[in-house]
Amino acid sequence: MKPVYLRILVLSGILSMACTTKVSEWVLLNSEANNYLLVYYHKDPVTEPVKKQNEQIGREINSANIQFRSILRNDIEKPYYALIYGNRLFSTYNNHAELKNLSVSPLREKIASELMSGMLCVMLYLKTGNPEKDAPASEIIKRTVAASPFREVVSVRELDRSSTEEKHFVSMLLNVENDLKEINEPMLFGIFARFKALEPLLARGISTENINLMIDFLTADCSCLIKDNLPGTDILFTNNWENPLPALVNRILDENPALLHH
Amino acid sequence: MKQDTLQYRSIDDRPLPKWLTDQRDGLNRYQPEKLEMKEDNSLTLSFLLTGGIIILVIAVLTVYVLKKRPNRY
Repeated sequence: MKPVYLRILVLSGILSMACTTKVSEWVLLNSEANNYLLVYYHKDPVTEPVKKQNEQIGREINSANIQFRSILRNDIEKPYYALIYGNRLFSTYNNHAELKNLSVSPLREKIASELMSGMLCVMLYLKTGNPEKDAPASEIIKRTVAASPFREVVSVRELDRSSTEEKHFVSMLLNVENDLKEINEPMLFGIFARFKALEPLLARGISTENINLMIDFLTADCSCLIKDNLPGTDILFTNNWENPLPALVNRILDENPALLHH
Repeated sequence: MKQDTLQYRSIDDRPLPKWLTDQRDGLNRYQPEKLEMKEDNSLTLSFLLTGGIIILVIAVLTVYVLKKRPNRY
């Protein structure tokens, strides 16, 4: 076979696969997580202890989706760190200690391991701490997922908004949209691929219909429109995303072709 | 996919995420370009051009042959 024919054959094979791969799987395999930027703003020359601290920060976040930079600025009173995503300022930190566990935490590790094991998504329920608000939505989430044909590949995790252990994770989730910090309502984030968090359902938006639409979005064939304008915000996390296990959703769809949709 | 710059009065008025409304309304699917019929003059143009070229070639060849042809008279 001539090399040119072979190339055409391989290319058409790849293209045909791209159109039937599900959104969640396609993004996990093909879409790199966007990088954060951690900036150390300082007015005076960096002292030796601070330099060492910054080197340590650099080592800690070395394999996460983040870059670290020092920038000299004359219009500040005291030095500080700023966490930036795209053109959005997520958080500021007064000192090195506040950055502890910026890119790792127990819940993020659990979620990443579930995503790498082939789960469709992790639904993260961010609670307000007020049982009267949290309980009804929690019940709806559990009931809806339990009734879904995709229940085996959807994991539900809960997180308190006031958790100190997960404070960086909570902060990133509340920065997915710029008004979330002011809204003290339960929120449901769909987390998929390489820790991408969809814009959340919140308060009365956490309904059976909307949860099923979230599952539909992730189990749909990956379209060019989704690829070109992928929603969500990447969460900062240290992980090697290579060689995830095959997507479990494909087995469910193979066994139940009636569930296939676009 | 930002939709959070919109103003809303209460939490119930807050717009749903765009990914969700697009999925609900079927807008996440790839929609092929709609083909519209347009007036097509290319065939007429092609005939005219071909006819013109043929006439030109015949004219050139006629002149060439007449010039090259020995005068018998």
